[in-house]
Amino acid sequence: MNRVFSSLRRGQLLFAMGASFAVGICGLSIAQAQSHGNSSASTIAVMLADFRRPLNIPAPEDNPITPAKASLGKALFFDPRLSGSGAIACATCHNPALGWQDGMARGVGHHGGVLSRHTPTILNIAWSEPLFWDGRAATLEEQAKGPLSAPAEMNMPLDRAVEILRANRGYRAGFAAAFPGEPITIDTMVKAIATYQRTVISGVAPFDRWVNGEAGALPEAAKRGFVTFETKAGCAACHSGWRFTDDGFHDTGLPGDDMGRAKIMPGLPILEHAFKTPTLRNVADRAPYMHDGSLPTLEAVINHYDHGYIDRPSLSPEVRRPKLTVQEKADLVAFMQSLSSHDRNVTLPNLPR
Amino acid sequence: MRKTILLSSLAVLVSAAGICWAAGMATVDQRGLAFSISKLVVKKGDIVTFTNNDNTSHNILVSGNGVSLNSGLQKPGVAFKAPFIKPGIYQVNCGIHPKMKMSIVVE
Repeated sequence: MNRVFSSLRRGQLLFAMGASFAVGICGLSIAQAQSHGNSSASTIAVMLADFRRPLNIPAPEDNPITPAKASLGKALFFDPRLSGSGAIACATCHNPALGWQDGMARGVGHHGGVLSRHTPTILNIAWSEPLFWDGRAATLEEQAKGPLSAPAEMNMPLDRAVEILRANRGYRAGFAAAFPGEPITIDTMVKAIATYQRTVISGVAPFDRWVNGEAGALPEAAKRGFVTFETKAGCAACHSGWRFTDDGFHDTGLPGDDMGRAKIMPGLPILEHAFKTPTLRNVADRAPYMHDGSLPTLEAVINHYDHGYIDRPSLSPEVRRPKLTVQEKADLVAFMQSLSSHDRNVTLPNLPR
Repeated sequence: MRKTILLSSLAVLVSAAGICWAAGMATVDQRGLAFSISKLVVKKGDIVTFTNNDNTSHNILVSGNGVSLNSGLQKPGVAFKAPFIKPGIYQVNCGIHPKMKMSIVVE
């Protein structure tokens, strides 16, 4: 008996439908792109079909997104009283004015201690599980407990955080609205923080407008850069989908003894020095780059992948020497700049008292 | 032409068990950073072939019932064949891309 469980036919059908849709609405932009890249219009249409933004925000069944929870979570996210020093909020490192990062090579935690890794953005984190550079947290709720309680970061024992919240009249009202009939607990605290984080989403960028058929949304250099990104440079092998990440773990050939994902999942040589692929949304506004913050510019990142990496057994097979021209590198930068959405300023909450 | 990985240790297991595992075959595609099916039911002794149709490498991990299998690096175009000898439920995921998950029920 031969049982074949293949989705090939279904996959081909969806692929064809997606391509047709993209061709239908992107005809003008594809014609423009065709004249500036090496790929055909149909090829570019297929590429673009992979980059449509989702319509809904994912959330776990036991923690659906509600306005009351998101509002409470926002207050918690910006509240420095939830740190041992009283001076560090989640937003101190994940600063909305700095792309939800801190603008530094490596994070700074309790009493000014420098952390071992670069602060990642929380943009579009609703889709980004598992969390942390090494993926040690399976959910956003679990992730929220980490920096709060880590002695080197916010240094706030979780039980103590709950005591602080229970003693605060404003928070008591906020929790009652967000979690009717439930007490204030570690569980409800991190559910609220995770809910707020799920609402932090990068807005529509010029690239999205191009995907949706607005031919003039991108400069020609960015269109060429997109094709290079998808083809010769091989960036899309890891930076795939609308967030430009596979949520996977790769050794990108940076120096250092940080074993990354291999410490969480020992036994897989390919995970040594491997770190999670970061999103490229708003990337031009979020320097410096890489898990160690060691590369100051997008040009430096491109040069790293072009020829600057360390070749070792764990090096990701997706890292290859593409031998990019000066023009191609400039085009790649132009493309990545087109991913910036220049979102509205984030209003700060009045913290509960 | 596709390359195939077949774990020699599994072959030893199969041989030792004296089971004719050529009775059934099932194929799972890896495409778009996902397995083509979330739950697969096979018969004891069936071989499941995981075919990497992505343009990125994977690393299949199978666990359950005291069994732990590792395909090693599975480059694009490479198929990994795993015989399932013991009845039970197995978890399959990609070591590089944790969102790639499925289960296999061996009857």
